[in-house]
Amino acid sequence: MKSKIFTVVVLLLMLISMESNGQMKFTVSGYIKDASDGEALIGATVQVKETRSGNLSNEYGFYSMTLPSGAYTVEYSYIGYTKTERMVVLSSNQNIDIELSNEAEQLKEVVISGDPDLQKSRSLEMSTAKLDMGTISKIPSLLGETDIIRSIQLLPGVSTVGEGASGFNVRGGTVGQNLILLDEAPVYNSSHMLGFFSVFNPDAVKDVKLYKGAIPATYGGRLASLLDVRMKEGNNKKFEANGGVGLIFSRLALEAPIVKDKGSFIIAARRSYIDVLAAPVLSDGFGLNFYDVTAKSNYEVNKNNKIYLSGYLGRDNFAFGDNQGINWGNKTATLRWNHLFNSRLFANFTTVYSNFDYQLQFGEDNTDRVNWQSDVTNFIFKPQFSYFINSTNELNFGGELINYTFNPAGIKGASNGDAVANTLQKKYGREASAYINNNVEISPRFAFEYGLRFSHYDYIGPNSAYTYRDTIPGKRRAVASEKKYGDGEIISTYNNLEPRFSTKFQLTNTSSLKASYNRMAQYIHLISNTTASNPLDVWTPTSNNLKPEIGDQFTVGYFKDFGAFNQFEFSAEGYYRTTQNQVEYIDGADLLINKYLEGDLLSGKGRAYGLELYAKKKTGRFNGWVSYTLGKSELQVDGINNGNWYPMRYDQRHNLKIVAFYELNKRWSISADFVYTSGTPTTFPTSRYYSQGILVPFNGNTTRNNVRLADYHRLDVSFRLEGREFHRDGSKRRNRDYWVFSVYNVYARKNPFSIYFSQSSDRLAAGTPIKSSATQVSIIGTLIPSVSYNFKF
Amino acid sequence: MKFNSPITLLPIIMGAALFFACEDTVTVNLENASPVLNIDAWINNKPQTQTIELTLSQSYFDSSRPKGVKGASVLVTDEKGNVFPFAESTKQDGIYEWFPSSGSFGELGATYTLTVNYNGEKFVSSCKMARTTRIDSITFKVEKGQGPGAADVDKASFWARDQIGSGDCYWIRTYKNGSLINLPRDINRAYDAGIAPTGNFDGLTFLQPIREAISPQQDEDSNGKILSPYKNGDSVYVEIHSISRLAFDYLGELRIQTNRPGGIAELFSTPLANVSTNINNENPKGSQVVGFFNVAAVSGLGRRYKK
Repeated sequence: MKSKIFTVVVLLLMLISMESNGQMKFTVSGYIKDASDGEALIGATVQVKETRSGNLSNEYGFYSMTLPSGAYTVEYSYIGYTKTERMVVLSSNQNIDIELSNEAEQLKEVVISGDPDLQKSRSLEMSTAKLDMGTISKIPSLLGETDIIRSIQLLPGVSTVGEGASGFNVRGGTVGQNLILLDEAPVYNSSHMLGFFSVFNPDAVKDVKLYKGAIPATYGGRLASLLDVRMKEGNNKKFEANGGVGLIFSRLALEAPIVKDKGSFIIAARRSYIDVLAAPVLSDGFGLNFYDVTAKSNYEVNKNNKIYLSGYLGRDNFAFGDNQGINWGNKTATLRWNHLFNSRLFANFTTVYSNFDYQLQFGEDNTDRVNWQSDVTNFIFKPQFSYFINSTNELNFGGELINYTFNPAGIKGASNGDAVANTLQKKYGREASAYINNNVEISPRFAFEYGLRFSHYDYIGPNSAYTYRDTIPGKRRAVASEKKYGDGEIISTYNNLEPRFSTKFQLTNTSSLKASYNRMAQYIHLISNTTASNPLDVWTPTSNNLKPEIGDQFTVGYFKDFGAFNQFEFSAEGYYRTTQNQVEYIDGADLLINKYLEGDLLSGKGRAYGLELYAKKKTGRFNGWVSYTLGKSELQVDGINNGNWYPMRYDQRHNLKIVAFYELNKRWSISADFVYTSGTPTTFPTSRYYSQGILVPFNGNTTRNNVRLADYHRLDVSFRLEGREFHRDGSKRRNRDYWVFSVYNVYARKNPFSIYFSQSSDRLAAGTPIKSSATQVSIIGTLIPSVSYNFKF
Repeated sequence: MKFNSPITLLPIIMGAALFFACEDTVTVNLENASPVLNIDAWINNKPQTQTIELTLSQSYFDSSRPKGVKGASVLVTDEKGNVFPFAESTKQDGIYEWFPSSGSFGELGATYTLTVNYNGEKFVSSCKMARTTRIDSITFKVEKGQGPGAADVDKASFWARDQIGSGDCYWIRTYKNGSLINLPRDINRAYDAGIAPTGNFDGLTFLQPIREAISPQQDEDSNGKILSPYKNGDSVYVEIHSISRLAFDYLGELRIQTNRPGGIAELFSTPLANVSTNINNENPKGSQVVGFFNVAAVSGLGRRYKK
């Protein structure tokens, strides 16, 4: 281990020294921001016209280009913003901060307005999708609530178990294999109200990027994807308020400078009000609400130091009686310090706290009650460094330390006045990683990125480590031995090397071929035995029994831009993923309050492959995209499905999505989306038998996911009406507003979520044969109209 | 509020939250599978005829009476060499019976082995008769109905204390006006005084959800209106059957697989899976078998509701 680090350090020094031995070079660096509110622009393009070399601004809007001394024209551009050029004479290092103006400020908003020069085929990136908030807010949504997770589900390679299901599945990965980061803090449950709404408040989000593959070495910890959600920093020029009133939530976001151009804050909150509206008809103690608060502030200490503090608090509450109910939520806090060592070495230090917990209580009063609480808590420290060697070579390195605490169940209760308390032993894990990533453009035609992440994991005490007896696969394994470990003692250790590689070959000016390989390791596991993930699902660490999940993915892709202004974009990507040690559970597993949980778990192999086609029109009054995925995802676990491969619950052969936006006139615009997916697999019984008078469904062939539900399809439409820009007297209105009228599931299709089998609920005399039936459930079996009003001032 | 698993809470609340879910009875094609031997062997120490029923599984939508298995040999033995032969009933195919000549079947703490010989194959299982616990009383109370505009309901509770020493498993069975309350949602089991093995509820009064589960709360009339579980003059008789730990798990699986509230609850339903069995074919490569063997000690108490 030590020798590896040493090698890395030496290599690094060599790279750096090689550079300083070259000809006289100088650096132009700075921050790229939005001119209207001072928000940093992530992924803005900086291009040197003379050398045709380019670079992108990082997550904090910082860019750095090192060039031989000389005079250059540097062009700054960003999707939806007016391009800016600067003449730069490089005879010394130059600091140039740029503010770009949003085109919307001057022109009528164009939906996916893009700078036609920003071509997907030119960048090295593949298997990523970036959705800007402008686009997300125009996609027709359920009950008119703009939703990030639901929007992501319209991208290629993304599927779900069904309507209302929490989370999303990327290229055959499970919900628990997605790393969802909100300002770098992992979010353990991304949904409000199960899967109907996501926890991200659109008013507080700046940028959303989904990595489905080719994940850089900077990130690790989950196998399938990374959803990187970055919060707004808050307007540092003037006070701004955004808000909306919908059928489910009301939202309000306030942002303002703390010190003009130096620091700002944003605070955004949402609350649902079904309970408030329904109060008159509900009995006492009944409550149903969810809320979240998202806040962030930043302060520029000086040119080289910036501090960001952000946090999230969300809660879903369901109470039905004074002492009965369930509630759950995420809490995150992120403190970041950006430091510029010099114009070429950018550093960011992040400290994160993240927690997800749920509480459940029932009972009548203090003499009869049970309270049950469970949580998972993380502390993370992440130093990250970017060294901008020259305009075609960037080196990223850093590390990550994660401390996990899992509290599986703490129970406090009383029965008929006798109090009891029982807590399952907490579980502790520790993860340390180091990474290095180098991004090199060898020639204008050929670029590649290679990286290596090394991750080390310890399962630590205080805890008891159990070993389990072997049995027939698929049966509960009994405890064979127990060994106690003290505070901080290491129970088991795992190390993984995770290589990452991606490359681009430019075929023509507007087309390229790309390929990538990456390996990911995952040390925590989400275990769910319900059809859709739910808030009570168990997160459990890698241990002496559970091995880390390992995923490998290969991708190849063809990218093409076309049209007079390159306003069209097309891509075709193929992927092949394999996973090892994927966690499954035995039939009848007891996952919730089980000391011997690991005796109920199985481990298997997964594989998924597919082809994703994506075509997009970026500009014009009529724009949008078509996404089609042909995919297959399967598992093989000893003890399930007779040991044969079986499809995942969210396996969809065909997955087609069409999203279109059309601007009718200056005030009215229309959006529509259409989704068509193959039916997902499910398990049907073959037979039935009686057990003590109860009718039991039975699959005599012991097959899993042996049948497919009917295909899913749905059309949603929404109309947006912009408020008047001018008062009747001709003066410009200070505040802007718009109405959104939408219909979800326009032709009211009853899409099947599941088919279940049950006996008749009639109470019959003992011995009377019982009727059995199959029932199809549609979670949303009707069309849902909605209206919302949104404002900004 | 009755539930055996906390997950069942979610659908109830969610059901109140969203009204968009809809259900349709559908006709589906099922795979074929050969009939499988089902041994339904739950015997106890009640002073009455003990019955073990052998049937063959039938196609899922076949609502005829299942085919009884004739000509099998059904024996229960204990460690002391006592043999309890279950004789084939002449009245109904598949029923095998044993009559206590005096007293009742079994002895607390003894382990019993079930052996079924059928079609040249031998199926075995064993189970210890565990202790049960005494029911102290049954009470009735009038409670406000849940939800808007609901009428008052009359609920019954039984009061009993778990035996000291952890690991006692019980199945609480209720008779209302002489009929066993026996829908999937009525399955009421306890691990010590709690609902799950790790609650540490040893030696306590059974938890409220268990006590109150003797009231069939979700029954509706033909108009879909919730019925009061009990009304003046109804009788209730409660039995506590001691069960093995495996039987406790089995009843949990049985409930999960058979109690399907449907609607939005399907989001959290467990996908269909076969419930376990504690009966094994001596030849692991032989025919499949389903069913369960448990030997229970039973305590009971009844009361008539007089307002």
